[in-house]
Amino acid sequence: MIALQVERLSKRFGGLLATSDVSFDVAEHSLTALIGPNGAGKTTLFNLITNLFQADSGRVVFHGQDLRGRAPGAIARLGLIRTFQTARVFPGMTVLENVLCGRHRLLRQTLAAHMAWLPAARREERRIAEQAMALLDLVGLADAAARPATELPMGAQKLLEVMRALMAQPRLLLLDEPAAGLNDTETAELATLLRAVRDCGVTVMVVEHNMSLVMTIADQVVVLETGAVIATGTPAEIQANPRVIAAYLGEAPV
Amino acid sequence: MIEFTQIVIGGVMQGAIYALIALGFSLVYRVTGVINLAQGGFCTLGALLGFTLQTGLGWPPLLAAAGAVVLTSAFAALVGRISFVPGLARLTNSNMLMMSAGLLTLFEGLVLVVWGSQPYALPPFTGEHPLAVGALRIPTQGLWIIAVSATIIAGLWYLLQSTRLGKSLRACAENPTAARLVGVDVPRMQLFSFALAGAIGAAAGVVVAPAISLQFDTGRLLTVAGFSAVAIGGIASFPGAVIGGLVLGLAGQLATAYVSSLFSSALSLTLLLIVLILRPSGLIRGAASRRQDVRDEARVWAHVTRLSARATWRLGAALLAIGLALPFVVNDGLLGALIITLILFITLIGLDVLMGYGGQISLGQAGFMAIGGYTAAYLVINNDVAPIIGIAAGMALSLVCAMILAAVTLRLRGLYMALATLAFGLLIDSCAIGFDDITGGPSGMVGIPDMTLFGYDFDTPMKMYYLVLAIVAVLLLAMAGAMRSGFGRALQAIRTDALAAAALGVNVTGTKMTAFAISAVLASLSGSLYAFQFHFLSPEMVGTPRSLELVSMLVIGGEGTLLGPLLGAGLLTILPTAIQALAVYKTLASGALLAGCSLYLPQGIFGGLVRLAERRR
Repeated sequence: MIALQVERLSKRFGGLLATSDVSFDVAEHSLTALIGPNGAGKTTLFNLITNLFQADSGRVVFHGQDLRGRAPGAIARLGLIRTFQTARVFPGMTVLENVLCGRHRLLRQTLAAHMAWLPAARREERRIAEQAMALLDLVGLADAAARPATELPMGAQKLLEVMRALMAQPRLLLLDEPAAGLNDTETAELATLLRAVRDCGVTVMVVEHNMSLVMTIADQVVVLETGAVIATGTPAEIQANPRVIAAYLGEAPV
Repeated sequence: MIEFTQIVIGGVMQGAIYALIALGFSLVYRVTGVINLAQGGFCTLGALLGFTLQTGLGWPPLLAAAGAVVLTSAFAALVGRISFVPGLARLTNSNMLMMSAGLLTLFEGLVLVVWGSQPYALPPFTGEHPLAVGALRIPTQGLWIIAVSATIIAGLWYLLQSTRLGKSLRACAENPTAARLVGVDVPRMQLFSFALAGAIGAAAGVVVAPAISLQFDTGRLLTVAGFSAVAIGGIASFPGAVIGGLVLGLAGQLATAYVSSLFSSALSLTLLLIVLILRPSGLIRGAASRRQDVRDEARVWAHVTRLSARATWRLGAALLAIGLALPFVVNDGLLGALIITLILFITLIGLDVLMGYGGQISLGQAGFMAIGGYTAAYLVINNDVAPIIGIAAGMALSLVCAMILAAVTLRLRGLYMALATLAFGLLIDSCAIGFDDITGGPSGMVGIPDMTLFGYDFDTPMKMYYLVLAIVAVLLLAMAGAMRSGFGRALQAIRTDALAAAALGVNVTGTKMTAFAISAVLASLSGSLYAFQFHFLSPEMVGTPRSLELVSMLVIGGEGTLLGPLLGAGLLTILPTAIQALAVYKTLASGALLAGCSLYLPQGIFGGLVRLAERRR
């Protein structure tokens, strides 16, 4: 079963062809890594998938639904949730409130029900607060739940953003460089976490620079260079691919 | 034809003044990225200083004018040094906008304390006799206005385009960080632009003063006129400011001559709203237009005031007990002030949802109080309906107006939205004055009966107090529920990062519209109660000064907290009542507190108290 089909996607910024005829599929329940040198167009591709930018041509299909013309919010409500390259926790809110924001798309109780303090509304709040605390506990942030989110160190903010995205119970999770700013221990924990997320049935796609992380967790690797896909395959296939090695090292192996 | 030419000449004179004020806005905006609402305050201050030097100390008119300009720019430099420039280093653009609203109020308060509230008429520079050209009559002061404006515009143009200082100023505008790296003293340039804007404002005030009647709150009208001019012309461009000023001046004079003087300001404001909606960046697009979203990133909302659930309930119960007991320990005057505090608090709860939690600035909230107050009172007096029906009708009408306003303003980003709400408030002001058949005009609406509810007459202050207290308690409970729900979180997420919120499935527009609707309906309810409390309603009770006062109350008390605004409302309502000698300082204090709190206590008094209590533990 295919979760995401990217079909011949292209985007031009002025004279720069940022994304050129990109096509690939992401299988359901798999973990796909998107790699490539700086400026290869990885983040642009994420922005095109989530419609922050409109593609010039091509289309993206998510579980059979064409995403063209849908607003970012509408795409999120379909279950396609993304994080950002620089952590974007919400300032002025606590760590716990930030995670609770993730659940927004699945809330059932109305504003009126909350204003009237209906038991059902309070129950829903209690239930999601428990789940959010469990998620925070998973990354060791439960003790910081009541602190303002912007007081956390950068690495913790990135983890918080991942937890916020998980709280949305995504069908497909797009993570933009989740390991940037994390130390080795935290990166190892993140690898374990991402594998666990995939095993729970969530399709995951990550942009990542950390090669050892990519090679240990990915089922499929897509390599971008100057906006175009130059290789797709398993980590082992990619590591042996001469074009990929050339792209990263600048020359073909002898 | 003669008549038409005469009107056009009048329009050009008016427009030249607007252009001059607009230039002050444009200068500060281009160097700092902030819309400085205090610009009109410089004009009043300059004009009245000129008056005192001339009539009090007997200086000749031109020397007095020059002296006033120097004194005003020195004062502007001082104010800029202690508030505006430090604020630039750590406040968001929207907080800076509110601080400048505080500075405007501060200037008004200062003028009120020093010169009182009576209008002043200044003698023209060169006699009362108009210059006769054929059948045309041109007041000589008009020639002074045009000459001074043209000189300043040309001088500023030369300064910015052709001098080293001008280059440094423009560098600050285009990229402050890069300017700092190449050795431009950015804070100094910011201060210089602020003081220069003060000088320009004072010059405008001094030359226009003989042509108009001037009093403490004229500055606000000049701010609005000057701002409208830059908004119409394009804030990031000097020719835009000049063209905008002339368009506005001509439109105003033509409307006065051919429609009605009562609606000339309404027409200018409508023109402003139309331009804001169709071309948010103005008729002339500047080269150095800013991306508001990027600049705000570095300095964000950092404070979080949260009480634990247990502390909240305890505090709420304690406040309710105090609220229930208060009428038995205070005298009638204070009880009146308490009722007003609670009625204003109803507006503030809504404003807090919109501004404190949602980050959407509204400078026209009293407009909804006016709609609620006049609608309810009119229906009760003329159609003999029950007050509650009148209140409901006012709320419905406010809701309709809010949705129309929101539909057109939510497209606007950041500050433009704040300014559209300001224009809305002023439009309602001029309607309240202009539709005198319905509202009683400037002298107000009299004979509003008691508030009644299902046949029960709230005919004593005590009864009215408990009614309002009950409404406030219910509203607080409802809003506490709302702010702890998905809606409350979505609103706070949008406040700083609408894009990230949308990426989690938040309906950004819908959430903002809901907040706008809540704030309008609550303001309307509060306006109706206000009318029933006083049995009287006049435009200045629910006008733009009230809107600005509400913002002060909110920021001083603590935005983004439900109880904070109560402290702000109480402070600015009860203190002047309890200590009559303070009443004259109220405007001054309100402005100083707003500017000071923005800078030193961004979480407000309530936030400060909570932090103090946490430290104790």
